[in-house]
Amino acid sequence: MDFAIEDSAEQSTFREEVRVWLKENIPEGTEFPVDPGDLTLEQYEHRRELGRRLGDQSWLYPNMPTKYGGGDLPVEKVVILHEEMGRAGLSLPPYYDAGGRMAAPTILVWGSEEHKDRFLPEICKGRVRSWQLLTEPGAGSDLAGIKMTAIRDGKDYVLNGQKIFVGSSHGAEQSWTVVVTDPEGKRHHNLSWFMIPMDLPGITVVPMNLLTAGGEGGSGCGVKNTIFFDDVRVPAENLVGGENNGWKVATTHLEMEHGGAGRLGERGVIKEFIDYCQDEHHGHNLLESAEARETLVDLYIESEVTRLFAIRNYWMAHNNHPRSYEGSQYSLRRKLSGLDIAEKILEIAGPYALTNDEQYGPLKGALELYGREAITALHPGATTDIQRVIMSRRIGIGRQDREKVGALR
Amino acid sequence: MDLSLTETQQLIQDSTRDFVRNDFAKEILLDLDEMPALMTSELWTKVSQLGWMGMAIPEEYGGTGNTLTDVAVLYEELGRGPVPGPLFSSGVLGALILLKTANSSQKEAWLPGIADGSRILAVAATEKHYGWSPAHIAMTARRNGEDYVLDGTKLFVHDAASATDLLVLAKSESGISLLRVDANADGIAIRVLPGFLSGVTEVTFENVRVPSSDLVGIEGAAWAGYDAALQSAIPVLCAYKVGACQALFELCVDYSKERTQFGQPIGKFQRVQDHIIHIVNYLDAARWTTNEALWKLDTGQDAASSVHMAKALSSDGYLRSCDFAHEVHAGIGVMREYGLTLHTKMSRSLYHCLGAPKFHRKRMEGALGLVQA
Ligand SMILES: Cc1cc2nc3c(=O)[nH]c(=O)nc-3n(C[C@H](O)[C@H](O)[C@H](O)COP(=O)(O)OP(=O)(O)OC[C@H]3O[C@@H](n4cnc5c(N)ncnc54)[C@H](O)[C@@H]3O)c2cc1C
Repeated sequence: MDFAIEDSAEQSTFREEVRVWLKENIPEGTEFPVDPGDLTLEQYEHRRELGRRLGDQSWLYPNMPTKYGGGDLPVEKVVILHEEMGRAGLSLPPYYDAGGRMAAPTILVWGSEEHKDRFLPEICKGRVRSWQLLTEPGAGSDLAGIKMTAIRDGKDYVLNGQKIFVGSSHGAEQSWTVVVTDPEGKRHHNLSWFMIPMDLPGITVVPMNLLTAGGEGGSGCGVKNTIFFDDVRVPAENLVGGENNGWKVATTHLEMEHGGAGRLGERGVIKEFIDYCQDEHHGHNLLESAEARETLVDLYIESEVTRLFAIRNYWMAHNNHPRSYEGSQYSLRRKLSGLDIAEKILEIAGPYALTNDEQYGPLKGALELYGREAITALHPGATTDIQRVIMSRRIGIGRQDREKVGALR
Repeated sequence: MDLSLTETQQLIQDSTRDFVRNDFAKEILLDLDEMPALMTSELWTKVSQLGWMGMAIPEEYGGTGNTLTDVAVLYEELGRGPVPGPLFSSGVLGALILLKTANSSQKEAWLPGIADGSRILAVAATEKHYGWSPAHIAMTARRNGEDYVLDGTKLFVHDAASATDLLVLAKSESGISLLRVDANADGIAIRVLPGFLSGVTEVTFENVRVPSSDLVGIEGAAWAGYDAALQSAIPVLCAYKVGACQALFELCVDYSKERTQFGQPIGKFQRVQDHIIHIVNYLDAARWTTNEALWKLDTGQDAASSVHMAKALSSDGYLRSCDFAHEVHAGIGVMREYGLTLHTKMSRSLYHCLGAPKFHRKRMEGALGLVQA
């Protein structure tokens, strides 16, 4: 076993190449606001520009096939790209793009050749970013219980309904969704998966006011929305994976969203907080107290286990290892340890942890945000309860057959 | 043994519950949350006329001289809101501190105003080196002729933005002293701190002159009375958190019946049941430790360990009950308009107020005789 991320000669040449490239290509004014909800249009556009430049290098989605605009890079190089973006205070992709992270790998599994040629390059090149529209007011955990319909009418499907807790700030070129195409059909056999251009008439996006803007991602998620569809005509060729086969298609991206793809380089705020504790603030050192030191060690352990689960899943995904409960385990762990860490921060830093005041808020307000985000982040993807349900099924607790993992590339 | 409420307490509970339900309805609380003072003058006038501000103040000073348990019944109902603003800071904490530390002419001068709501106190104790022991008081009150001069910063002071008077703890030559200062005196600046906080402020003092007549009680000898007042006030704050947990509990039970997923009410899922069971366990632990502490205080018994225990459990319990309520609600719970986040924010704001759980657990070591106090 080898955890060391030590560069080979080839890798260190690549790292150097990436560093130099990023230095030359990150547009001015791309800095990350502490609160992703504060992402300005200008900052967002700079990020999109960077995305297009990365796309032209085939680095935006570096593990997608080159045929579709990816880089087909080995995992070590992908890691380097993530690390170097992280070092520059950015993430890969540098903005919220559920499409590149989840829809593209889904299309790779379920799309026709025509779909792949039409959708994938523009995603991988950063020309199109897209939102994931699954949740409805009446259907969260029970995704198969959605009510939004798409009824065939000539060459189009006509969409009607409402999605909630979706998207981000500053719009998207496309969205993808699961909707009911057979209102009389059996549960799980009545749904279809669509890619939807967001400039079609009849789509209304209304921003929501939540405890924190974002959710998953750490990539400048922005503000979630409610989206209304009133007689929106979507061309039939945008249905991916076959009519009434949408549930199967969705299992692919749900698997990824439940943590199956793993994640690299996540511990930003934790590391900064540990550093913060080692310095004097407002005339006093937090670590003078033995209890604070003890709690900080616990906090560190908590974050390390989560980090290692993420790395394990990443390694498994990129080496095509058979997986079962690991995705949900990581997601569950991240959610619960987030809450636990937030509480430990509150104990160590005292009420300072609760303010984003310029003078008193630690880490430019990032700590205050962490405390709110820990709560909001319990829900996206799937709740802790649902992650436990999935884990149990996959392990086979109390059942003869073990549920299989969603189809991944 | 009789653990039921008295007739008076039952009356307080019923009338307050109605009032909170109507006059502090969710939409109003969401509006108040946007205001620095967290209160409107109309609402303040109303609650003052109801006599809430004078409940902990003896009749001779214009109050109604209720027992702490009576007062706690009121605050439990306020916690259900959660009703924000300076009610506790002024009518309980501030009033009890003056009762324990001020001389009789000061009491006569100040307490009736608190009782009728015209005078609003905030207690400025904590500083940058945050904590609730005497070692954390570094600000000085320098004697200068007939005056004291205050210089420095008080931090994480609750409710100063709506106060008329500040009770300031500061070090003078002979020890820790308490001074009453006009909140709008020259040299004082009050700033509400932004963030996941409600009504918490920074108060800076720059060459603020306080006449010696506003030195509360005896110079250098404020701490004992102040600390004793805190021991009485704390269980009332705990009762507020108990009420808050009760509201969260009811909210979750109701939601578990209304919300359906997979064709059934979510309350049928054992995992959802578990979240709610956690809440009710936190609630009852906080409730009964608080009640016993109140009883001990009202009957003149040694209450120290009970008070510390109640504070530790209610601070933890409120924080975690909010977390579990979020698990039960998922998405809808983080929508500001739903109202749950008012509690979440309040549970964080009050977590450290008058001492965080760890601090009180530590003090229990002394109260239980485990270490030399
Ligand atoms: C910040 C944020 C970002 C989001 N981003 C997106 C997005 O980009 N795209 C998108 O489509 N959606 C998004 N969502 C929606 C998210 O996926 C849902 O909130 C989540 O799946 C839970 O659904 P719900 O809120 O309707 O809760 P419900 O499903 O109503 O759950 C309520 C409670 O019931 C429990 N429960 C439900 N079913 C079961 C069961 N079978 N067994 C045990 N317990 C159960 C839940 O665990 C929870 O405790 C986002 C949500 C948030 C808060």
